[in-house]
Amino acid sequence: MTQAECAALEEAVEADSYPDTFAVPQGTAGEKSSAHFAIPAASLVLTACGGEGTEGSSIASVLAPTVQVAKPATDGEAARFILKASLAATEPEIADIRSVGYVAWLDKQMDIPISQTGVDWLSSRGYDQVTVDEFYFRDTLADNMVWNQLITSPDPVRKRLAYALSQFFVVSTNGIEIDWRSNAMAAYWDVLNRNALGNFRQLLEDVTLNPAMGVYLSTLDNKKEDTRTGRVPDENYAREVMQLFTLGLNELNNDGTKKTGSTGQPIETYTNADVSNLARVFTGYSYDYANLVRTPSVRVPSQKIAPVESVIRRMTSDPTRWERAQTVSQHSMLEKTFLGTTIPANTDAPTSMKLALDTLFNHPNVGPFFSKQMIQRLVTSNPSAGYVDRVARIFNNNGSGVRGDLRAVFKAVLLDDEATNAAGLTSPTFGKVREPVLRFTQWARNFGATSQSGNWTINNTSNAAFSLGQSPLRAPSVFNFYRPGYVPPNTAIATNTLVAPEFQIVNEVSVAGYINFMASAIGSANGLNNDVKATYTRELAIVSDTTALLNRLSLLLSGNQLSDTTKATIKAALDATTVTDTSSLADKQRRVYLATLLVFASPDYLVQK
Amino acid sequence: MHISKMEDISRRAFLRRSKQLAVAGTAGSWAMGLAGMGEAAAFSAGNDYRALVCVFLNGGNDHNSTLIPYDSANYDLYSAIRGGGPGQTAGGIALARSSLAATALTPANGQVLTNNVQYALAPQMTRMKALFDAGKLAPLLNVGPLIAPLTLAQYQSSNLVANPRPAKLFSHNDQQSTWQSFKPEGATEGWGGRMGDLALSSNTNSLFTCISATGNAVFLAGNDAITYQISPGGAPSINGLNGSLFGSAAGSNALRTLMTQSSNNIFEAEYNRVARRSIDAGVVINAALQQISLATSFRPVSGTNSLADQLQIVARMIAARQALGVKRQVFMVSLGGFDNHDNLIEAHATLMNRVDFAFDAFYRATVELGVADKVTTFTASDFGRTLQFNGDGSDHGWGAHHFIMGGAVNGGRYYGVAPQISVRSPDQVGLGRLLPTVSVDQYAATLATWFGVAPSELPSIAPNIGRFNGANLGFMQ
Repeated sequence: MTQAECAALEEAVEADSYPDTFAVPQGTAGEKSSAHFAIPAASLVLTACGGEGTEGSSIASVLAPTVQVAKPATDGEAARFILKASLAATEPEIADIRSVGYVAWLDKQMDIPISQTGVDWLSSRGYDQVTVDEFYFRDTLADNMVWNQLITSPDPVRKRLAYALSQFFVVSTNGIEIDWRSNAMAAYWDVLNRNALGNFRQLLEDVTLNPAMGVYLSTLDNKKEDTRTGRVPDENYAREVMQLFTLGLNELNNDGTKKTGSTGQPIETYTNADVSNLARVFTGYSYDYANLVRTPSVRVPSQKIAPVESVIRRMTSDPTRWERAQTVSQHSMLEKTFLGTTIPANTDAPTSMKLALDTLFNHPNVGPFFSKQMIQRLVTSNPSAGYVDRVARIFNNNGSGVRGDLRAVFKAVLLDDEATNAAGLTSPTFGKVREPVLRFTQWARNFGATSQSGNWTINNTSNAAFSLGQSPLRAPSVFNFYRPGYVPPNTAIATNTLVAPEFQIVNEVSVAGYINFMASAIGSANGLNNDVKATYTRELAIVSDTTALLNRLSLLLSGNQLSDTTKATIKAALDATTVTDTSSLADKQRRVYLATLLVFASPDYLVQK
Repeated sequence: MHISKMEDISRRAFLRRSKQLAVAGTAGSWAMGLAGMGEAAAFSAGNDYRALVCVFLNGGNDHNSTLIPYDSANYDLYSAIRGGGPGQTAGGIALARSSLAATALTPANGQVLTNNVQYALAPQMTRMKALFDAGKLAPLLNVGPLIAPLTLAQYQSSNLVANPRPAKLFSHNDQQSTWQSFKPEGATEGWGGRMGDLALSSNTNSLFTCISATGNAVFLAGNDAITYQISPGGAPSINGLNGSLFGSAAGSNALRTLMTQSSNNIFEAEYNRVARRSIDAGVVINAALQQISLATSFRPVSGTNSLADQLQIVARMIAARQALGVKRQVFMVSLGGFDNHDNLIEAHATLMNRVDFAFDAFYRATVELGVADKVTTFTASDFGRTLQFNGDGSDHGWGAHHFIMGGAVNGGRYYGVAPQISVRSPDQVGLGRLLPTVSVDQYAATLATWFGVAPSELPSIAPNIGRFNGANLGFMQ
């Protein structure tokens, strides 16, 4: 950035005339797709101009003339931010973000490379081998793969975002009944991670061609029409890619509100004819078997097991690469007309795919549709229209003319003033229920959980009566665990015309099952499922000081959002049993377990603000 | 017993109704309780027990593989559209005609359907065939959401004002919601819940009026009535509340305090309201369930059957009805996996087997409990599916065939109008997506009438009922 640009920017900030979407000229700060949006951009840019941080500034106050780098003023503010962006707040991260500021911390986190993919982890455990154990029939390996990734990966911000994406581009292990199901799910999870900070267009393509998705929404082996038998292409993916992965059902304004037609009614984005035509695009794909062969099963050698690589590679429309190689494509050569685009007759599969995905990607709905749901996953259930608009504008253009820059989009979501402003802490309607999966992940990360076997035997946690009532990559359908527009009936939430997606999995059964499951995980002598056990090293060291113990838990788990009343309730319970430095380890552990469970049961913890 | 949410319900219902009562000059008081209030009269059918059980088939059941044309002429039409093999053999997503012989249905009194179609149940549904033959099961043909009667020409018209149709047809989540509430996603009241509103006053414990064994669904949410969740094993009780948590009685008390405390944050407050209900009601439910015994087995010979598991707890709850203080209940259970775009033949057979087993076990349980004619079970689903095959499955449709089962059902015959076996006829909107000839409103109104809802209250259950010719389809005694 030139001195002149810095000066101009500072002037703009001082004059409080900062443009909503500040476009950094291409080729200057454009080496990272991060510095191109409203307020956070300012702080980053000012850092680049050599500004020094001012302790105690909020991100919003960067607009004040004297402030240059936005940093959390307190440990609580730091933890609050980390808990939205990442998977757990730890002391080193809190110290780091207070030192370098929000934007620099986030950039640093986003720059951490993927250390081990899900596919590689399965391989490292031997789960890609054809053995007497028949791993190709196991589905809980997918659960333990993703749990291991969530709990141990050194790039938790990327993992948090990938997990959010897994609830937008949903593939569920439940719905993939193929050999090597877990490895296929790992490959899908890897697609989300690889693209989480990349571009939406690439992500959409990788998702579309992934075999797990191909099985889940039945594009795999989807054939072109057959006039002889009357067969028509399967419409499954065509419908859901529009309804769920790109457009939604109604035309949207950029702020996420519905457009209305002449008589005031919402405008539907597509018709059945669009679906039937788009369905032709997703014909003619199957597993890529080029140079791959089946392996005899150990138990039943006459049974030939598919090569694991076939569920990991992208599907291919080249029939010479299929297991039963053919010369004739199964791709529909009919004209494909949808959403105002016409792909001419006799267009081949790859070209059709490119044109179709370009059309979907460039639809003006994608920005607001996707942005609002990412805000809901990471920050708050009911973002203002202005918040959605600000993020969607970054989706539409990251400032360098790039559409769909996910790194920029996620930074816009997390750094927006509405996300970080202290007003959210006291607003009666701000925030969201923390997802059960994220609560459990926090527990594992914060208290040093390890897997004694190395297998991370946490398994499927979907059962609401006995477990978390939610399990990563295990949504009951492509409509996810809950809908973005879910309104819990007969509640003040409904009366206030608000939505609360996560409340779709909150009920009399799940609230009880959750407490029992957490209690068993927290206090189990042998570890959850005799495998996953936390150490509580830091907590045991301060166990005799209940105030210190509670302050630590409140900070790390809730970002200091526990109310005084809650803390008093917990402290009194802890103090009811005397524990000193000379108490037995068992007594110390019981106090730590009790403190931990009570925090996990507190409503002011359960709702992220 | 006393449940905090019940108090909420009572209070809100009381406030709302006391306004009505005040107009009539009747001063209410807290002491009189709900049972003394006027709308008990809504249940003209008397004071006996009645329950409705909604079995929701998630994903959109392929009705063409559930009730299959069996007479040779219509079978051939079906086979041609679904890719069947030569000589009436299996192929594409058509079942072999020979596989249908054991479940072919012969309706009572020589009932004749469109083009003389004779149906067979899915080959797995041998038990449901027996229930049909015994007059305890009735298929309802081509039912689906409508705003008003609609012809194909009207459907094809661009004048949506003159020819209204449900919003967001063919979309899973929206049509699930529309089946349950007559509105797309985002609705907050369903017709099960609206019946629950009217039933609250019949029940000493109004919280146990609308019970789901399958997670949150709008069907059971009313204006006042709320959905109470039960799990197949009963109400999970929180171990830490049973006197000691990690060895600490104070810890156990603190857990209860934290889970039930109020908050200014709307999400925290509502979360804890659910927790309070869970804690208070769980005690009552589990005590009541301990008193009952149910011999009927819901355990399949092999594998698992989540629908049977859910129907078993429904049966046990019904068995405990007196201890629970209820006379009118609406239940909901579900089975997933019906979105068979792919692998339909294999996947659907598994599902049909589960439905058949679970329905039969549940019916036998109601016989055992002596309430077979007081419990009516019915199916619903997102939508029907295309008749046209797509290779090895079918795609999203609209109208579909459904089942009503129970001792009070006029079974052994069909209701509604059989569609033509065609992808060109005027009773479908393309690829054999059925244009419904019976509306969900009529389906709901018929069930509600049996449940005891007065004719004057039917529009609050089925909002479009006034536009249809006949609020009672006749399938209930």
